[in-house]
Amino acid sequence: MENIIELKGVSKTYKTGEKEFKALDNIDLKIAKGEFVVILGPSGAGKSTLLNIIGGMDKVTSGQIIVDGKDISNYNEAQLTDYRAENIGFIFQFYNILPTLTVLENVELVKDLVSNPIDAKTALKEVGLEEHINKFPSQLSGGEQQRVSIARAISKNPALLLCDEPTGALDSKTGVDVLKLLRKQCDMNNGSNTVIIVTHNSLFADVADTVVRVKNGGIESVTKNENPKKIDEVKW
Amino acid sequence: MSKLSKKLFRDIKQNKTQFITIFLMVFLGVFVFAGIHAYMDGMAVSADEYYKNNNLQDIWVQGRAFTTEDFEKIKTISNVKDVERKLTTRGAWDGVDLEINFIESNKISKFYVLDGEGFSKDKNGVWVDYYLAQQKNLKVGDTITIKLEEYETTQKVLGLIETPDHVYVVKDETEIFPDHSKFGYVYLSVNEFPGSNQFNSFMVDIDDTNKLDETKADIENNISSALAVTDRDDSVSYKSYQSEIEEGDTYSGVLTALFLIIAVLSVVTTMNRFVKKQRTQIGTLKALGFKKGKIVAHYVSYGFYVSLIASILGLLAGAFSLGIFFLNMEMEYYEVPVYSIKILPTSYILATAVVLITTFITYLSCRKILKESASEALRIQMPKVKNTKFNITSLPIFRKASVATKWNLRDVFRNKGRSIMAIVGVVGCTMLIVCAFGMLDSMNSYLDWEFEKICNFKYKITLADDYTEEQLNNLTNKYGDNTSQGLGIEIKNGDKKETNTLTVNDALDYLKYTGHKREYIDISSDGVYITEKLANTLHLKVGDEIEWHIFGDSNWYKTKIAGLNRDPQSQSLNMTRDFYESLGLTYRPDSLYTNEDLSNVEKLEGAKTIQDIKELKSGMESMLKTMKTVIVIMIVVAAILGAVIIYNLGILSLSEKQYQFATLKVLGFKGKQIKKIFTMQNTWLTVIGMIAGLPLGFFMTDYIFKMALSVDYDFSAKVKIWSYIYAVVGTLVVSFIVNKRLAKKIDTVDMVTSLKGNE
Repeated sequence: MENIIELKGVSKTYKTGEKEFKALDNIDLKIAKGEFVVILGPSGAGKSTLLNIIGGMDKVTSGQIIVDGKDISNYNEAQLTDYRAENIGFIFQFYNILPTLTVLENVELVKDLVSNPIDAKTALKEVGLEEHINKFPSQLSGGEQQRVSIARAISKNPALLLCDEPTGALDSKTGVDVLKLLRKQCDMNNGSNTVIIVTHNSLFADVADTVVRVKNGGIESVTKNENPKKIDEVKW
Repeated sequence: MSKLSKKLFRDIKQNKTQFITIFLMVFLGVFVFAGIHAYMDGMAVSADEYYKNNNLQDIWVQGRAFTTEDFEKIKTISNVKDVERKLTTRGAWDGVDLEINFIESNKISKFYVLDGEGFSKDKNGVWVDYYLAQQKNLKVGDTITIKLEEYETTQKVLGLIETPDHVYVVKDETEIFPDHSKFGYVYLSVNEFPGSNQFNSFMVDIDDTNKLDETKADIENNISSALAVTDRDDSVSYKSYQSEIEEGDTYSGVLTALFLIIAVLSVVTTMNRFVKKQRTQIGTLKALGFKKGKIVAHYVSYGFYVSLIASILGLLAGAFSLGIFFLNMEMEYYEVPVYSIKILPTSYILATAVVLITTFITYLSCRKILKESASEALRIQMPKVKNTKFNITSLPIFRKASVATKWNLRDVFRNKGRSIMAIVGVVGCTMLIVCAFGMLDSMNSYLDWEFEKICNFKYKITLADDYTEEQLNNLTNKYGDNTSQGLGIEIKNGDKKETNTLTVNDALDYLKYTGHKREYIDISSDGVYITEKLANTLHLKVGDEIEWHIFGDSNWYKTKIAGLNRDPQSQSLNMTRDFYESLGLTYRPDSLYTNEDLSNVEKLEGAKTIQDIKELKSGMESMLKTMKTVIVIMIVVAAILGAVIIYNLGILSLSEKQYQFATLKVLGFKGKQIKKIFTMQNTWLTVIGMIAGLPLGFFMTDYIFKMALSVDYDFSAKVKIWSYIYAVVGTLVVSFIVNKRLAKKIDTVDMVTSLKGNE
């Protein structure tokens, strides 16, 4: 299987005043196309930084990131913006949907970004929110709000879906639903979509195709799961 | 320093734009008020002291030739404290028209000697108007040759002086602004008078000012040669100075109100948001066990300290910069020897009130959140947006609107306070620009009216008091028989008598009349014409009768009002020569108008002065110069106002929605697209404010003209289309620049931290 992502000697250093903090230290990592990847690690290990760098939200201090054959580490702001618009779907722990737009409008936003979006209503049906399309976010539960953000991400039809603690703010049952939706997205387009989930919840390891363990800014291990469990089989 | 005060300073530092806005608005409000009042009150107090110390007369008595018996008699009238007599005449020196006064003592309207020596009857020499001396570079010890009718007298300058009855010194009623290089006054001892001296005025000082009217009546009844008995309120010098002070009142009222409304609005919006932002902190403080009173005091102190400092600085800066600036500007025209700005209690009261209001509003703004329990306040609050009954975006026209438009529309309606404040700020900005240019337009339109429409002559020859019939015939033969006579009259208004003037016009093609809409009207010989404004104050209409008498003639005339005319600068009576003579009165002209070129003629037999219309106009133009300074100040203030308000609201909006913009960025929206979304509502609000500001600007101009001009004037605001265009362009430029600067802030929105910050 070809690699959609390849990181070569990637380091990321944050400077706060005189102190330097190495969030990522010389990382090498390959992620194959179409996989359901879970990045595991304790708080402060560098998981979110890793995800942000892959998603083009942050720039590396040194090293190379090759996504779909293109080196994005030298991209300028404008190129990174296009890269995010065209390739990436993001899902956050706190949903980050716009409170003054309705559910439908939140998803329709992406119409201005990509040339071939999936119809907003279809995407919302996909996540089971067709009943709520004219509601405002504050009228929805947390799980529903997260599903809006998933609908928004998938309507872009992105090759890469990046999720930062997507179930972190949800109860376990709702979390399972959200996770199923993410898996479903991964299996779409003949399994060519890649989903990367950052979490500190080790239970996620059982359902992943590949598990990347991160510790102190480095990669601890990369494990392939030959037979990932079905999401329903895991006791959450 | 307590930890909470530390928090206070750091919070203010972190939210500096908002607090600077509150500061600036409070500051500007107090600044304008204190500044204008400092100069107004300074003018009033300085003049009062001057009038008191130098003993300005209470009553003026004019006549042609008073006898010594008159002088002795007037002294015996009850309530008369002291009387001095004076011979006042006109003359010239070195191209300057002079009012020449011959006196025998100087206890009333005493000289204020700025250089040289004081008055004594035995000294031979001349005391010269200090302002005139300044203009002509005249010093004590110089000699000047004064032309006085057929005489010429050369005198040594003994002193440079000012007198309290010459605070406002103009040649005649056609001049509004003093021009000290063309007209001034001098004093000499009566011993120096070249002819036989005939005193023509008394200056009367009285004991009890409450009995002023009775004393005036006594003088009128006892001194038969008295032509006019008037008091301070009739004195051009005294009256004009007072009305100049009142003018400031109008400006200060309008501008202070504008800034303080905006200050209050900015306090409301800023504190509301600020306290909302601090919700969890308030919860934490409560959870820690801080007493409610202490927390309230802490949050209220934000408003208190900021407005306190702004208010104190505004008061001082206003008085000492704007106040001094305006006072010095005024005193270029008015002759008050010792003057300084004054900060009266009104200014302190206003400044204190502003601090109290701001503090109270701060309290109201945070009261709600302070009422919440600690646990409630600690909970994260999602902005509540619900489908309400009235949702503007559900209107059919908006259904097809872009998501960005809907998002902005809802934002505008969700943040009503902020939106209203933005509109008010822009309204203020546009209004001030319209008003600034509108004032100039109105002045120009007035000049046009007076000097292009009404005064249709190139030269005005003022005839000498004692011209002969032959001299007059020579003049009329040469320059045309177009003359007029001005008479001081008293008119009956109920039980009261009011001084006014009557113009007998025998130069109808040269001194024209305008009607209600400034159109030309012809006046007939069927009766007297009075100006519209005068008719309104006297509650008279066409067909009514008006009763009047000429000073020096005790016969009262009751004449029918044949029509109304409008005159921008004098509210008086007019009639034709025919009608005047039909009353049995003898017409003796005092002015002659001509279009012949008199630029090379210096002296005419039987003429006192020759005035070019341009000269009359130039006095007015110096007033325009002053006005231009005010206009520049107004435009600068407008720009600051607009810029500060739009910028502040932009920053508020940005800080509130930072994570939303970060989200858009993450989604892959380009910087340009986000900037467009961000500045969209500012543009809308600017346009709305601007549209509202245009008519309001007109009303403000109209109000200022109505309030600021004394009763003699009658002209309303005229604002040209160009002034509106300037205001639109000016407002848009301010808005454009501020939006550009605000938009730059979008680049600094960091996705990673903004999104984390939402947790």
